[in-house]
Amino acid sequence: MFYLSIFFQYAAQYLKTRMTYRGDLVVEIFSDLLFQAVNLIFILVVFGHTALLAGWSREEIIFIYGFFLVPYAIFSAFFNIWDFNDRYIVKGEMDRVLTRPIHSLFQIIIERMELESLFGVITGLAIMFYAGSQLGLELSWYDPFVFILMVIGGAFIYAGIFICLASISFWSDSKTDIMPMMYNIGNYGRYPVDIYNNVIRFVLTWILPFAFVGVYPAAFFLGRTEWYTYAFLTPVMGVVFLSIAYFLWNAGVKRYRGAGN
Amino acid sequence: MNVIEVNKLRKEFKSYSSRSGLKGAFRDLFTRNYKVLRAVDDISLQIKEGEMVGYIGENGAGKSTTIKMLTGILTPTAGEVRVNGMDPHREREKFVRTIGVVFGQRSQLWWDIAVQESFRLLKKVYKVSDEDYNTHMKEVIETLEIEPLLDKPVRKLSLGQRMRCELAAALIHNPPLLFLDEPTIGLDVLVKMKIRAFLKEINKKYKTTILLTTHDLADIEALCDRVVLLDEGKIIYDGRLDELQKNWVEGKQVHFEFQELVEVSSLEELSKDFDVKWRPGERKNQWVATVEGDDDAVSRLMSQVMLKHAISDVKINQVSTEEIIRNIYEEGIIHG
Ligand SMILES: Nc1ncnc2c1ncn2[C@@H]1O[C@H](COP(=O)(O)OP(=O)(O)O)[C@@H](O)[C@H]1O
Ligand SMILES: [Mg+2]
Repeated sequence: MFYLSIFFQYAAQYLKTRMTYRGDLVVEIFSDLLFQAVNLIFILVVFGHTALLAGWSREEIIFIYGFFLVPYAIFSAFFNIWDFNDRYIVKGEMDRVLTRPIHSLFQIIIERMELESLFGVITGLAIMFYAGSQLGLELSWYDPFVFILMVIGGAFIYAGIFICLASISFWSDSKTDIMPMMYNIGNYGRYPVDIYNNVIRFVLTWILPFAFVGVYPAAFFLGRTEWYTYAFLTPVMGVVFLSIAYFLWNAGVKRYRGAGN
Repeated sequence: MNVIEVNKLRKEFKSYSSRSGLKGAFRDLFTRNYKVLRAVDDISLQIKEGEMVGYIGENGAGKSTTIKMLTGILTPTAGEVRVNGMDPHREREKFVRTIGVVFGQRSQLWWDIAVQESFRLLKKVYKVSDEDYNTHMKEVIETLEIEPLLDKPVRKLSLGQRMRCELAAALIHNPPLLFLDEPTIGLDVLVKMKIRAFLKEINKKYKTTILLTTHDLADIEALCDRVVLLDEGKIIYDGRLDELQKNWVEGKQVHFEFQELVEVSSLEELSKDFDVKWRPGERKNQWVATVEGDDDAVSRLMSQVMLKHAISDVKINQVSTEEIIRNIYEEGIIHG
């Protein structure tokens, strides 16, 4: 597979470059860890006042957070397109991308990867195992496979949403604050959707389906059978959103007008 | 065989303007005011294998826009393009394997990594075999004298060094067709000459077809037999460079340097029997006369002028290409 081999070529080059600035790498991983710790403390503080949140216990919420970290880590490692408008449209870097014989979206993914974000997978797994053992969860033989499927689905949803947003730049290159806003909305998916009102729940399920990156798939592992339908929709939603994003992107590239000097 | 085949190619850019005030912003939501700028206006062009064509025109004439359509970066608004037998935009990924592109103002190379690492990645991207790479690139690297630069990161290179590396990078897959948009911009004469010599060599050796835009007409004079002149998106001349020189002005330029201040009216008065145009020269009291006609006319004009005004220096020149092109732009159409 040509694309796979190119991916490894770029990844190898990336690691080589990163290793020359090892200090930066450590600082970055450390600040990620700190950020995740702050999020955990926030959950603990909220549960300092109540034992249950809409029927979910503290350990369950921590488990959901742990799960969320895994697809999010994969998304952050490979889909750094939050600055696509500035970097590729306004500065015209897209010109260069379009003169190379690889799909333009794939090129941007491999050019902008930040593999150190994958460290979040380990943190997420650790948190899940901790919360899982507190809850006395059993691990079945099929759980790892379902987990991988759910993680891929979740990462696809994140990727799909952000690729759609980046594609908008092909139609309008005016500056918007939509990207940082979307990162905030993404965080809502880590909490059980039944704590929100119906409108927000609907949006988080069908419009900006971040609930599929956290609470829904995690509900499967928590044995919350009432959410199983949603849990198993996760990979489907992932494929649907990534496909929409892919078509939108291709349509956008046809409209690319370059940076007019 | 035509490598480039362009028929009535057009590119328009819509630029939106927003209305003022809250009411205006609200109306903008529904209908937006826009202007259409036709950057490339129905051009037709054929380029054969092995040709080196100079694509020239003033800033904003539409050169880069044309090149971006020919390389598959931009979708044309109307018209047909076939390059290397393919539709550049529609078959982009397959098509770009058959071309090389250099944009003078933009880097193709990775900023932070050593030049040879960039080359190595591009070699994979273009699926170049070790064997082809070794024989072909070794030569390119030697001719462009970039061997000592290979282990430096691009950001540490000077513009001239970077440009030579860019050129090498565009040739990794030894493409039969090369697009160069202002490859010599900002370079010193020595580097320019190196690049020209190199382009000549690959054109001779591999019959590489080259389309290049430049601000420096010396590039064109050194490299291209054929020029295409663009003005406001339209082709106003397409033909041999020497024809352009021959047809446009037969006459000569005479540079007069007078000893005292001279009014243009007095010069025009005493040369009213000649087909001549006067313009101020670069130095003080210097005037340049562009005379049409034979040598006799030139010598008669000179004696007329010298009878009337004291001269400190006089020079006769062939009209330069630059001058010709300036005239074409000032007067519009070609005569002759
Ligand atoms: N992306 C763009 N959006 C709007 N106008 C553009 C864009 N690119 C080029 N133009 C306009 O098209 C015209 C031709 O530009 P260009 O092809 O870059 O000229 P040249 O390369 O000959 O200097 C100019 O008027 C320029 O402002
Ligand atoms: Mg240009």
